[in-house]
Amino acid sequence: MIGAVIKQLIGLFVDDELLAATVLCVVALVSALALSGLAPAWLAGLMLALALPAALVASVLRSARRGTRGD
Amino acid sequence: MPNLTTIISVAGASFAASFVEAVEALTIVLAVGLARGWRPALSGAAAAIVALALIVAVLGPLMSVVPIHALQFVVGVLLLLFGQRWLRKAILRAVGVIALHDEDAAFARETRGLTEAQQRRSREFDWIAGVTAFKAVLVEGIEVVFIVIAVGAARGLLVFASAGALAACVAVAAVGAAIHRPLARVPENALKFAVGVMLSAFGLFWTGESLGVGWPGGDAAILAFIALFLAVALALVALLKPRAALLA
Repeated sequence: MIGAVIKQLIGLFVDDELLAATVLCVVALVSALALSGLAPAWLAGLMLALALPAALVASVLRSARRGTRGD
Repeated sequence: MPNLTTIISVAGASFAASFVEAVEALTIVLAVGLARGWRPALSGAAAAIVALALIVAVLGPLMSVVPIHALQFVVGVLLLLFGQRWLRKAILRAVGVIALHDEDAAFARETRGLTEAQQRRSREFDWIAGVTAFKAVLVEGIEVVFIVIAVGAARGLLVFASAGALAACVAVAAVGAAIHRPLARVPENALKFAVGVMLSAFGLFWTGESLGVGWPGGDAAILAFIALFLAVALALVALLKPRAALLA
């Protein structure tokens, strides 16, 4: 039962693995740029605000294309 | 001191998200109660609530030990994963790519499974039924605890987030106790759509703030992010719905 509960808890955050990986990569990249001083804070904010909705759009379009093809 | 907009956003997001989780837990507890009796259903649910209280008692004090920027970062990233996952599924359900979640079907499935399982004598405690109710309340309850921590902890608004969640759980339990049926008429996908938008917006806000981003307008930027994710999600529905209908 513990295994099933843990699996369900991981499932809370990860459904489409590619979406989860993209979100983590975006956050890691922006964090690295912001914390190293290579990107000013306003640019880091702008990158997050553009890249995260874009990741969602890409994931939904990919799933819709697969779904409507009946895969 | 956080402004009224932030407090309403936090309590509202916590209420709506917890409402959905409570409806899902109620469906299973009702199925167990009606198929196998109320003793194991309520015992399992009560044991899960005790386990949840222990989890909160252990995790609660840790919140004040973790530095606020680290807490905002971890919570922000988890909210982004959680919120975008809900929003993605709600969009795909809205356009018909995946089936809507049906509480009546979930109730029927759970009842059938429990009825088909070997019946125990009435005096013996029904462990299968009790564990089923325990697991459902524990898993959905952990989601509620996470939601409360995620939307409330990063701004010191745990009290308002907890109040929203508690109100949702009490409302669902009261309606469930009154009608003894799953709450199938709750517009679950619309709620998940709204919650996905709000949690994604909170996630974006707190991840940025933890990295030192001074969002224009302060806390009011959360409203702008809600508008951003809502616009993106509605645009995707508008784009994909005619195509999905054409191919259906």
